[in-house]
Amino acid sequence: MTSALLLVKISWRNLWRNPRGTLLTALALGLGLALLLISLGLLDGGHEQTIADGVRLGPGHVVIQAKGYQDTSSDELLLPAQVVSTVDGFLQTGAMKQVVRGVSPRLLATGLLSSSANAAGVRIMGVMPPAERAVSLIPQRMIQGTYLNDDKLSGVVIGDELARKLEVKIGSKVVLMTQALQQPGTETKKSGGEEMHSTLLRVSGIFRTGLQAFDANIIQLPLPAAQTLLGVADGQVTQVALLLEREGDALLVARALRKQLTGAPVEVLTWRESLPMLAQILGLDHAFNYVMNAVILAMVGLGILNTILMRVLERRYEFGVCKALGLRPGQLAVVVVGESLALTAISLALGLALGLSVQHYFATSGLDLRLVFRTGLPPALVFDPILYSRLTMNRIVWSVSIVFMMATIISFYPAFKAAQTELPDALKVL
Amino acid sequence: MTEWAVELKDVRKTYRSGPIEVPALRGLSLQIAPGEFAATAGPSGSGKTTLLNIIGGLDRADTGEIWVAGQNLQLLSSSELAHLRLQRIGFVFQTYNLLPVLTALENAEFTLLLQGVPARERREKVEKLFLEIGLAGLEDRRPAELSGGQQQRVAVARAMVTQPALILADEPTANLDSATAIALLDVMEHLNRTTGTTFLFSTHDPQVMERAHRLIRLRDGQIASDEAHGKQGAAVRAERDAG
Repeated sequence: MTSALLLVKISWRNLWRNPRGTLLTALALGLGLALLLISLGLLDGGHEQTIADGVRLGPGHVVIQAKGYQDTSSDELLLPAQVVSTVDGFLQTGAMKQVVRGVSPRLLATGLLSSSANAAGVRIMGVMPPAERAVSLIPQRMIQGTYLNDDKLSGVVIGDELARKLEVKIGSKVVLMTQALQQPGTETKKSGGEEMHSTLLRVSGIFRTGLQAFDANIIQLPLPAAQTLLGVADGQVTQVALLLEREGDALLVARALRKQLTGAPVEVLTWRESLPMLAQILGLDHAFNYVMNAVILAMVGLGILNTILMRVLERRYEFGVCKALGLRPGQLAVVVVGESLALTAISLALGLALGLSVQHYFATSGLDLRLVFRTGLPPALVFDPILYSRLTMNRIVWSVSIVFMMATIISFYPAFKAAQTELPDALKVL
Repeated sequence: MTEWAVELKDVRKTYRSGPIEVPALRGLSLQIAPGEFAATAGPSGSGKTTLLNIIGGLDRADTGEIWVAGQNLQLLSSSELAHLRLQRIGFVFQTYNLLPVLTALENAEFTLLLQGVPARERREKVEKLFLEIGLAGLEDRRPAELSGGQQQRVAVARAMVTQPALILADEPTANLDSATAIALLDVMEHLNRTTGTTFLFSTHDPQVMERAHRLIRLRDGQIASDEAHGKQGAAVRAERDAG
């Protein structure tokens, strides 16, 4: 055994001079790490869920649309049919098929939906039902009736807020009126110099997303019906929305599409670009959580500092004896740092056990936010009331490393104090 | 000419606390020959503790020269003093001061470990010493599991095991009953006789004073008397006088 091993042995045994105190301290510090892991798991899980729901209610992880549409939202800006077929062909290649879960071409416009009782301005989404099912959340949020199908071109699905306003139910007739984008439709009438089209539809389904902006405004109808109504040539759409297997691939897919569509009058945007508000809100949430985590870490750090410093101050006399026997200041410091690291290692083990257990529960059973927000969920961030934790190995390694590094750095001060033990003041006997 | 185990020349030390100055040693000069078994005695405040602190390199004198094992302590840095203490000086404290987390054997080999002595050699040395001073069989016990006398013998073993030139013992029998104190003195005298290690005690204990071969009485930071005891004391005195 070298003297270094002796110092390690002294450190370890010193830790168990007061087992209860050591375990309580380790438990307190472990709780800090556990809190950090739980907080990160819920944060990442919540964000992942918010992004997943946000993109499925919006333009997907990646969207291809006519150049300028993001800034102007002009319904006149359409993707040429040739671009749509190029995109479709490209996404059928092996590499893309691996990462793309769904592709949905959409034709967007504004219109007026009227029932026998009322009328409301709406956002029209012409979609291909099977494709939209793979991309959008709306088909999963039907509360009455059924979602669209290709056989029934006169069907329309609307939000429950809109249904309430129009006083319609499943099977009710509604009239959708809108301004033609290009060619005349099946039925037209002139209004203020503009060419207006209208069509009779039947409510086939009512959905509820929980977001008032969607439930009161969005309507979906089959793409051919929308194209006919808006006078748009077959194959032309406003956007192609892509849902990916992994959110992390959005940038890569967008880059590949940009390269493929070089020269075409289109813009390829990731969800961060097409939904900047959502990205900003998540960014702010991240920043807030980093501050909270810093507070947790500071509490853990102060706990370690207090414990180790008290242990050092209590043993000033003992350190004096060691120094009198020939232990050098640096070796005394090693004993203290060793103690601190051993305490930290125990704390980390407890913290990991506790944190990962709770995290596992939240990852499998979820945290029901309705129990937390009894008065209603914050609408902008959460679409699903059950929040599932998600903790990556990177996060675990990061958390453990941060706590370990912090404990090491913090132990330097008590170690310095121990090394500074003054002779003969520390020895009252000699 | 004799090379002293310890030699002090006109050593002065004054403690200061704000405007108050307390002189502890006032121009004290002293020589201790190698192999002496000497004790310092005197009332509280006479300078015994300060004297041992300064000889042990735990404190520094204001002026004067302190020579231990051929080195002037006044010229050594803190780390050089630590090295000297580790290699050449052994300490026995009044309250034993064993490390509570180490066993008797680990406490005894503590200084050997710091010196980097290999494990087998350490164990051999400690076991031999333990056998010699009646600690055989107690190697694995922690200090809390030993009596006061046993703890102090472990402390003596810790001080002796490196074969230092000098052992400084501060009131080593102060916390021991009479029979245990005599047994400890027997051990120390035996080691002094067989190894030739120099012993210097500070004490209030008449038994220690009686067993010391030389008794140096201090008063007000100066030597009040310096007497040889017994045959060994007389022999050392004769040698010192001759030197």
